[in-house]
Amino acid sequence: MMINAVPTAMYRWARGLACVLLALALVCAGAAACLAPMPAWAEVESGAEEGSALDADSGLGVIGFTRYQRGAARPVAGEDVGYRFPLPAGANLVALNTPEHLLVYVAPEAAESLELDLADPASAQAVFELVATLDDEASHGGGRMSDEAGSKSLVVTSDPSVSVGAYTYIFFIEAGGRAYCAVQPAGLAAGAAPTEAAEAMGLDLGEGAGWCDGGTLVSAEDVAPAVEPGPFDRFLSSISHVDLSPLWVSLKTSFTALAITFVLGLLAAWRTMGTSSRLKGLLDSVFTIPMVLPPTVCGFLLLLLFGRATPVGRWLIEHGVSLVFTWEAAVISAVVVSFPLMYRTALGAFESLDAAMLDAARTLGWSEGRIFRRLMMPLAWPSIAAGTVLAFARAMGEFGCTLFFAGNYAGVTQTIPIAIYFEWMSGNTDVAIFWVVVVIALSFAVVLLINLYAARSQRYRMRGGIARGRARRRAPGVVASEGDRGGVVGADEDAEAGGDVLRIDREALRELLGEPAGGSGAGRHAADDASAHPKGGR
Amino acid sequence: MSRATCSRRKFVALGGVAAAAALAGCSSQTDSDTSATGSMPVKGDATADDVVNLQIFAANSLEKALPDVESLYTEQTGVTFADTQYKGSGDLVEQMRGGAPVDILITASAGTMDDAAEDGLIDDDTRKDMFTNELVIVRAMGSDVKVDSLEDVASVEGNIAIGEPGAVPAGKYANQALASAGLYSNVEGEDGKYASSIADRVVEADKVGTAAQYVATGDCTIGFVYSSDVYRYDGIEIAYTCPAESHQPIVYPGAVAASSKQAKAAEEFLDFCMTNEDALGVWAEYGFELA
Repeated sequence: MMINAVPTAMYRWARGLACVLLALALVCAGAAACLAPMPAWAEVESGAEEGSALDADSGLGVIGFTRYQRGAARPVAGEDVGYRFPLPAGANLVALNTPEHLLVYVAPEAAESLELDLADPASAQAVFELVATLDDEASHGGGRMSDEAGSKSLVVTSDPSVSVGAYTYIFFIEAGGRAYCAVQPAGLAAGAAPTEAAEAMGLDLGEGAGWCDGGTLVSAEDVAPAVEPGPFDRFLSSISHVDLSPLWVSLKTSFTALAITFVLGLLAAWRTMGTSSRLKGLLDSVFTIPMVLPPTVCGFLLLLLFGRATPVGRWLIEHGVSLVFTWEAAVISAVVVSFPLMYRTALGAFESLDAAMLDAARTLGWSEGRIFRRLMMPLAWPSIAAGTVLAFARAMGEFGCTLFFAGNYAGVTQTIPIAIYFEWMSGNTDVAIFWVVVVIALSFAVVLLINLYAARSQRYRMRGGIARGRARRRAPGVVASEGDRGGVVGADEDAEAGGDVLRIDREALRELLGEPAGGSGAGRHAADDASAHPKGGR
Repeated sequence: MSRATCSRRKFVALGGVAAAAALAGCSSQTDSDTSATGSMPVKGDATADDVVNLQIFAANSLEKALPDVESLYTEQTGVTFADTQYKGSGDLVEQMRGGAPVDILITASAGTMDDAAEDGLIDDDTRKDMFTNELVIVRAMGSDVKVDSLEDVASVEGNIAIGEPGAVPAGKYANQALASAGLYSNVEGEDGKYASSIADRVVEADKVGTAAQYVATGDCTIGFVYSSDVYRYDGIEIAYTCPAESHQPIVYPGAVAASSKQAKAAEEFLDFCMTNEDALGVWAEYGFELA
C-alpha cells in the first residue's frame, strides 16, 4: 500500500506542477504581449544604450542624451550665470525650446571633426531629426520638439550665444567646473549679474526657455545600434531588477503569523467548547468578528490602540511597546485576520466529534489535556490542516489591515499584495504583473496542497478501515492470550497496522462502558484490548 | 457545576498566558529580526558612530526623482536611507501623528507643512521651501481631448481625476483653479462642492500619482496633476497648463522632524538636495524647479 502510494503522489505532484507551469507560461505570454515595442522615428535608429541614436544616411549619431525639463535660477558655486540648465558631461550638442524658436547648438569643434556644414539645410535637418527623436523618447509626456517644430522656426548654429527678444541664450558656459546652458537678459552689461539684472527689469528668465536637451554628437559608427529584444527578453529584462523582498517579507510574516494563529486558534476553539453556552456565544462572537469586519476597521482599531493618537497608545509607547509601522505590526495584522479562520475550522471539527467518545475517555481517567492531544487533535486533524492552509492563505493575502497598521516599508512591511498595489500606482505595471504571477503560482500550490492532503487523509482512513478488519479477523488468537495480558502484543501489532487512535472502536467502547468497572482496568491498554477484541461473543 | 467554573477559570488563565506569550514573542522577534535584516525603519538610538540611516516622508510627486538624489548622496557620503514613504502630503502628516518614526518631511504644500508644525511634528527652524511646480491638466498620450482654458473642463466628456483635497495638495490646488473658473464653490479648494456640470464625473484619488495613473489607464479622460508627474508616468501628456494666478503658489517645503534622533544628518541631506549640482541635475531632469 505505502509502496504504491508514493509513485501516485509523485505523479499527482508532477501533474499539478505541469498545470502551474502552463498557467505561468500563459500569464507570462500575456504580460509580454502587453509590452509591445514602441514605434521609432522613420530614419533614425535608437542606439543600444539609453539616450543614444544614429542616422546611417547622414553618418551622425548622438550619445549621452539627457532632457532637462526645468532649470534653476540659483547661482553655481556663488557665480550668478542666470537661469541655467545643467548639461551632461562631455556635451557638444544643446537643444533649447524657446517661446519662438527651437535652438540647436553644435560645438564648433564637433562640427569640424565630423565635417558638418551647418549652413547646409540637409545637414541641419539631419542633426535636428536626431535631436527630435531622442527628445521624443525623453519627453515622457511633456512637450515634444517634433510637435513644436510646426509652429516655431528652427535654428541650427555653432554660435556660442543667440539673442532673441529680451533673452540671450548662452549654450555653453562653465561654472564651478561644470557645463551649463544659460538664459540671460539680452544686452547685459559686462560683469553684471544676470539674475539681479533680470529682476530689476521685471523679467522672468525661466519664461525664456521651456526645456533643454544636451548630448554628445558623434559619428554614427561610434553608436552601438540597438538589438531588438524578443518579447520574452523584454519581459525578463523588465523583471530582472525587481526587488524580491516582498516575497520574503510575505513568507516571513505569514509563517510567523501562522504559528501564532495555529496555537491561539486551537486553544481558543478547545477552551470555547468547554464553556457554558452563554459565555460561549460571547466568546464565539469576539473570536469571529475580525472575519466579519472589513480589514481596514481592524487596522484602524489597532492603529488607535497602539498609535500615538490615543492615551492607551501613548501609554504603551512610553512603556516600550512601539509597534506601529514595524514588522511586528504586520505580523499582528496577519494574526488578527487569519485567527478566525483557524478558530472556526477547529471549533467546527471539535464539535463534530462524538461527545460520548470524549466522555468515555474521561471515565477512563484521561486528563482533559490528554484527551485534547491524543483524541481530539488526531481525529479532527484533516479539518484542522485545511483550516491551517486557509489561515495561511488569508495571512498571505492580507492587505487592508497591514497597510493601515504596518504601512508600506519596502523590505520590512511591504508584502506582495501591498507591493502589487503600490507598483501599479507608481506606474510599474510590469513589476505588478510579475507579483500577480507569483501570487497565482503560490495560490495554485496552496490549493494543490489542500487537494493532495485531502487525498492522503482519505487514504489514511481507508487504511485504518483495513487495519480494523484485520484486527477483527485476528481476534480469536488474541482472546486465547487475553488472560495473561497478551493484549500488549496485539496492541503493538495494531500500532504497526494503523495507529492506536483509530483503534478506539466506538461500539466496543460503548460495550465496555456497559460492563462493571472492575473488568476494564486503567487507561489505554483496556481500550486497546477492547477494540482488538470486541466482546459479547457475536 | 464545579467543572464548569474550573474550566472557565482555566480559560481566563489561558487567555492571559496567550497574550503574554504573544507579546513576548513580539519582543524577541524584534531582537532577532533587527540583527538578521538590519533594514528596520529608523527607531532612534542612533549614536554618532552608527551608520546613519535616514527615514524620509516625501510628497508622492517626488517618488521618481528623490530616490536618484538619495543614491547620489549614499554614493558620496555613505549615508543610507530607510524605505522612503511617498504618499499624499496629508497622509504623511497623519502617519507622523500616528507615531511613525521620521527624520525628514517634504510636503507638496505650505498648508500641510503648517499642519505638521502646529502639532509640533517638525523642527520649524529647519523648514525651507525647496521646489516649485506647475499644475497641469493631463490627458492620455495621443488622446484628442482639447483643453484651452479652465472653463473647457466642464465640456470635456468622461471622468476627471482630482486628488482628494484633504490629503492631496494637488487636489486642493486643482479645486482652487476650478473655483477660479466657477466650477468649484470654495476658493480655498477644500470643503466646497463641484458645479453640477462636473460633479458626478469627478473621481477623487488618494495621491497625485493615482490621479495620473487613472488618466494613463483610461479610467479618466483628464486629470489635475503637477507637470513633474507627467514626466514620471508613461502614457499621459500635458493638455493644458493652469495659469499660476488660478491657484496658490505651489511650493514644496522640507523640514527635519522634531522626533528625529539624527537631526544633524537630516539637515545635511536637505542642504545637499538644494545645493549639490548633481542633485540639481536630477531635479531639473524630473521637472522640479528650485524655489
